[in-house]
Amino acid sequence: MKRRFTIGAGLAAAVLAASTSLAGAAEKELLVGVSDALTGPAAVYGVPQARAVELAAEEVNAAGGIRLGEDTYKITVLSYDDKANPTEASNSVRKLLDRDGARFLLGFCCSGATGAVASFIQNEDAVMLVGNAAERSITTRGIDNLVRTRPPADYTGAAAGTFVASKGHKRVAVIGALETSFYAMYVDAFEREFVKGGGEIVTREAFGLKDRDMTPQLTKIRALEPDALLVVGYVEPAAFVYRQSVELGLEVPRYGFTSGSEEQFLRVVSAEQMEGVWDLRPTELTLQSTGETGRAYHENFTARFGVQPSPSSPYAYDQLYALRDAILKAGTAEDAAAVARALRELPVPKEAVMQYIPIDGRMFDENGQAYTTNGAFQWQDGQWVFVQELPSVAEDYSRFLSSVDG
Amino acid sequence: MLELVQQITNGVAIGSVYVLIALGLTTVFGILGIAHFAHGSVSMFGGYLVYVLVAFQGVSLWLAIPVALVVGMGVGALIEFLAYRPVRNANHINAFIIALGLTMMVEGLNLQFFGADQVVIPTGFDRVFEIAGVTIPETRLYVVLAATVLVIAMTAFVEGTKTGQAIRAVAQNRDAAILMGVNVRSIPLIVFAMSTMLGVAAGVMVGSLFAIAPGVGEAMVVKGFAVLILGGLGSIPGAIIGGLVLGVTEALAAGFLSSAYKDVIAFVVMIVVLLFRPQGLLGGAK
Repeated sequence: MKRRFTIGAGLAAAVLAASTSLAGAAEKELLVGVSDALTGPAAVYGVPQARAVELAAEEVNAAGGIRLGEDTYKITVLSYDDKANPTEASNSVRKLLDRDGARFLLGFCCSGATGAVASFIQNEDAVMLVGNAAERSITTRGIDNLVRTRPPADYTGAAAGTFVASKGHKRVAVIGALETSFYAMYVDAFEREFVKGGGEIVTREAFGLKDRDMTPQLTKIRALEPDALLVVGYVEPAAFVYRQSVELGLEVPRYGFTSGSEEQFLRVVSAEQMEGVWDLRPTELTLQSTGETGRAYHENFTARFGVQPSPSSPYAYDQLYALRDAILKAGTAEDAAAVARALRELPVPKEAVMQYIPIDGRMFDENGQAYTTNGAFQWQDGQWVFVQELPSVAEDYSRFLSSVDG
Repeated sequence: MLELVQQITNGVAIGSVYVLIALGLTTVFGILGIAHFAHGSVSMFGGYLVYVLVAFQGVSLWLAIPVALVVGMGVGALIEFLAYRPVRNANHINAFIIALGLTMMVEGLNLQFFGADQVVIPTGFDRVFEIAGVTIPETRLYVVLAATVLVIAMTAFVEGTKTGQAIRAVAQNRDAAILMGVNVRSIPLIVFAMSTMLGVAAGVMVGSLFAIAPGVGEAMVVKGFAVLILGGLGSIPGAIIGGLVLGVTEALAAGFLSSAYKDVIAFVVMIVVLLFRPQGLLGGAK
């Protein structure tokens, strides 16, 4: 009886203490702005990213939000469509900053739009977390309040060049969105390493992001008789290249840099036409290569939105958890500069889906750049299969990045 | 040589789509004098419709296409009746403004109903034919054949039927046609129905060969007007020749020069032709 009373009194005291504490606590809103390509050709990357942020925010809120002292922050996500267009992105971010009062900006799938925002974000009282945009210069400008979860394109291109040379190819034809600088950067880095391995690029054929008929370029490539094809570009045009290369009887090994999901490719090209295609990219989400958090993310994303997540979408999911941890580390959600500093000191969040390589134990290096491993994925029997990691040393690249001026 | 033949073959398939787009435009412009800018967006509506029927309703492609063509005829007649007829006797600028407004409206409706994602009509045509080293994918072959059949049917209709005669009569002299007892109120309806049906066929071809997405219809109508000017305003043979010339020029430019400039080169060819023949390749001299 006494014991029961003791327990009952203890419980009452605990409840009283909790209610006293709650009386002083406040639930606040933490507004997270997302600027991403929600329509247009780049929406294949932007929509999954925006959804990934939404999913992560729901998870954080469901787990009680972000608790700072007596305050609890619940995350509200506000997304704008920047159409991967620099002007639209600048307008979206200005709206988020000036009208909506957002201080934390996430998303950013595409380099042109991201570069435009990066050019003025340093002057703002805000923190910008970049996702899929792979243009190197985004993290070479020394912007203190910007970090990026995806490694730059040339980091991956160099590893891809070494890999293709190791396959014994000597004459590679390139076709891609070469007017987009990060794709050109990927190919440049690819070529440097491929030439070291004794190979040569026999031609570089370009297509526009909205082009869907690549048969003229492929016909030209066919006449040059290369022993392999490298395709760099957004998922949809790349899918048309794969389809039309088969239709033209271009029977050579095909390598690519696209980061498209099975579902995205199969809207354009059949599984048979994709058979054997390689995708040489950062080790992004693929069920065969991911861990427990990746599988949970895949399952939750699919259940929430009715479609599978694209391989690159976790860059944005991880942004939100990095932001949460940075806010907790900084002890404030009001001081954007403190949160930006905390981001640079942060270890990889335990919920992160991508397999980051920490630099000196931190998720982001001194440039604000995160690194993942690179991987070779091959289309086998209707799906991407992780075959092997590509040789890439993040520490060396991080030092190189620090040496690049602007 | 083989590469040249292959490039020309590539261009003919694309040119066939341009032919159908331009045929619809040239019929409306030649007979009614309306620059129907919404033609591209309405064409894409037809492509979307076939996609929905095939991909979501499980309808056979061979049934979905005729259904879309008939719906297209109805939509075309409706556009004429509701949008253009009320301003038929007004200043030309009124029809011009309506055409622009209609383009934005149809494009918006497409976006609303079918979303922003690009869609590819599943055809199941995966075979590839090879003739003397030249490869012809099955879909492209059917596109060329279907365009040929539609052009012949259209020509036969205009040249060989009473309705066709009435359409030509209205095109030549509307007042005289009235005096001859032609029901001129029904002719614009028929012209729009025919034109939109051809456009829908082009939309299905674009959706099968490539993809339908917001903005594609607008790009197609620009090409269609280029063909119209190249071939000669209001000329059916001109639309055919112009469409093929544009398609082949684009393929040759992308294959032998640079894909970055294929549109520019195609339009340079158009300008050069117009310098020497301002009335277009087959347009009548004035």
